[in-house]
Amino acid sequence: MKLSELQVGDRAEVVDMSAAQQVRRRLMDLGLIRGTVVKVLRVAPLGDPIEIVYKGLYLTLRKVEAEGVGVRRLDADHAPSPEGGRGRHRFRFGRAS
Amino acid sequence: MMAGGAITVALTGNPNAGKSSLFNLLTGAHQRVGNFPGVTIEKHEGYVDYKDRRITVVDLPGTYSLTPFTPEEIVTRHFIIDEKPDVVVNVVEGGNLERNLLLTVQLMEMEVDLLVALNMIDEVEEQGISIDEKQLQKLLGSHIVPTSAKQKRGIDSLLDHIVRVADGLIDIGKNKLAFSPEVEAAVSKIAGLLSHERALDGANHRWLAIKLLENDAEAYHLVQQHPVWVKVELALQEAITECERLHRTDPEALITEDRHAFIRGAMQECVRQPHTERATLTDYIDMFVLNRVLGIPVFLVVVWSIFQLTFTLGAPLTSGLELLFTLASGMLEPLLPDPMLKSVLLDGVLAGVGGVLVFLPNIVLLFMGLSFLEASGYMARAAFVIDKVMHRFGLHGKSFIPMVTGFGCSIPAIMATRTLKSRSDRLATIMAIPFMSCGAKLPLYVLLAGAFFPPGLAANVMFGIYLLGIAVGLWTAWMLKSTVLKSESEPFVMELPPYRWPTLASVVFQARMKAVMYLKKAGSLILVAVLLIWAASNFPRNGAVDAGLARERARIGLMPAAAEQREVALKQAESTAQAAQLEYSLAGRAGKLIEPLIRPLGFDWRIGIALVTGLAAKEVVVSTLGTIISIGHAGHPGSDLSSILKNDPAFSRATALSLMVFTLLYVPCLASLGVMKKEVGAWKPVILFTGYVLAIAWGLSFLTYRVALFMQ
Repeated sequence: MKLSELQVGDRAEVVDMSAAQQVRRRLMDLGLIRGTVVKVLRVAPLGDPIEIVYKGLYLTLRKVEAEGVGVRRLDADHAPSPEGGRGRHRFRFGRAS
Repeated sequence: MMAGGAITVALTGNPNAGKSSLFNLLTGAHQRVGNFPGVTIEKHEGYVDYKDRRITVVDLPGTYSLTPFTPEEIVTRHFIIDEKPDVVVNVVEGGNLERNLLLTVQLMEMEVDLLVALNMIDEVEEQGISIDEKQLQKLLGSHIVPTSAKQKRGIDSLLDHIVRVADGLIDIGKNKLAFSPEVEAAVSKIAGLLSHERALDGANHRWLAIKLLENDAEAYHLVQQHPVWVKVELALQEAITECERLHRTDPEALITEDRHAFIRGAMQECVRQPHTERATLTDYIDMFVLNRVLGIPVFLVVVWSIFQLTFTLGAPLTSGLELLFTLASGMLEPLLPDPMLKSVLLDGVLAGVGGVLVFLPNIVLLFMGLSFLEASGYMARAAFVIDKVMHRFGLHGKSFIPMVTGFGCSIPAIMATRTLKSRSDRLATIMAIPFMSCGAKLPLYVLLAGAFFPPGLAANVMFGIYLLGIAVGLWTAWMLKSTVLKSESEPFVMELPPYRWPTLASVVFQARMKAVMYLKKAGSLILVAVLLIWAASNFPRNGAVDAGLARERARIGLMPAAAEQREVALKQAESTAQAAQLEYSLAGRAGKLIEPLIRPLGFDWRIGIALVTGLAAKEVVVSTLGTIISIGHAGHPGSDLSSILKNDPAFSRATALSLMVFTLLYVPCLASLGVMKKEVGAWKPVILFTGYVLAIAWGLSFLTYRVALFMQ
């Protein structure tokens, strides 16, 4: 499935980076590579863009761009924390995972 | 580098790593701001004298990587390659080491003389993170200096290390970075091929090979010109096939993954972080600020506050400045006997300088506000909240604040587009700003709407004018982004940095830089523009009018009346002469010349003159109109401009509406055109834009006039 299809609160592992060249490069430069565990934090008040967190980085991107990131949804209870060592705990809005 | 010589240092690092604060701390007051060649990215350069060495520090723009995509990345890369700084200091945020090290690794690949400043060490300690600096040094192959700009820690140590690195006194061995075997094999092979090519002798072959495997456009461009390319291309093809077969990906992704793997390994070996489930302050603030319900209201309140800060708080300062200039003018007036000299100095030079300075309070306040938003971390969030709306018109979330600022004044608004990183977003935003009806146009709307519409309707008419401006502005941006600026579309991928409390010093510093830049670059243009318009309204002199006024003065002087009456009569004679002179002047002739063009809009030559002089500044439209329309009304003292207009046969509701629309849309004041040129970097887009606004203004005014006539 795609990163853009995840719900707020979902955790997922990146399995494929197929975005357009420039977006893909930008995301990879920001550490979004295969194997990265991300969590969808929130959606903007107007429904786009979204905010995700991984390795202590809070990143916003448009849904169009999130479409280019293939992910595998993780079972929320057993997944490693995408907040990484920073140990941040975010409060969820919308649907719980 | 010889011991004892001058040293050049480049500061690099991720955005939000505290690079600029460190730069300010290092160089203090010895700074200057320029631009990197070809781009509008500011180049901050400063120096510090340390142990009899002159250390020049260049603050390169914040980047996450060195791929040549964004202007920041290109500037950073080219500076390091072309200018060959003696030392590259990589500022990393200690609390976010994993992400920051990606740039470090890429600098290591370039084999520069690297020094790592482990910045925000106070936050690292606060969060209970422990970093094994010795071990990390060995892995990175470069010295690590803990620093904290906030606590002013590590500055001397950093300077000390800079000198030692520059003098080649530090050697801690080569870094331990290695790619996957397939990549390493390909890199060696390609680097070997490149080393046989004479033309590439000066280049770093290994780095070039890595870049080629990364599908780097600049590296391709460089190598493709040489005969060795045939062999290199073959090797690249091989590497791609091999990576696909073994890793199901391309070399570009594999190299990035290898870098991250190296970093992950280094993190595990050297960094211990406590695992707490404590929500940070940033989390709490974002719960509120980015909330689905509260997000928009909070955003609107912030934008409103910035606007109020800039224009409401700025208003008394601006009027103070204006008062100061009026006083100066009043004091100088009796000292200047010659009326011509008086006019040049008071109405020309003094008014011109005043015209430049009145914008200053707004600019300083706006940029204090904006740099507070930027440094605190809210700016990125504002873009997050409003991006959907802006994106619909092809703009970026960050375009919003400059556009709103345009309602106050286009000049600071155009300057504020510098927060936009992509050139196409900047251009589209800059071209939309002049349609956001600025404060200087308001007096004309108030005058015309008040004169020709009942009070309740007048407010609606003015509101409609503002809406029309917004619509045309957004349409312009959308049109630009879907045609000429289409190819350069910028992805919206942005970090939301943790909230930080900006230091007063950095906020003031930013505002001061902007003020100086405005005075230096835009100030001279504005001054020239005001002088030109002054000259156009005063020359050529009409000898008959001058002589007539002189005769009138003499006659009034001999009048057997009270001093007050004589004063009134003199004022009247002067204003009549002024109107006659204006009609005779270049501006007046231009107004008459364009009359056939503006006749279909319902305007006569008098309005034409007002519009021509309005090029200097929009508030001038009202004052010129006042001067020129009072011809023939001078005999009726007490009648204000509003009632004169109402009784003037050339004016009607339709004319008033048409004139409001035209003033809203036609050529922005020369000052903002000057600033626009400065920010865009060339005259051509500005000239095209001027043609475009004239066409739009004419078309819509024509439409307004005809519809209004029909409805009457």
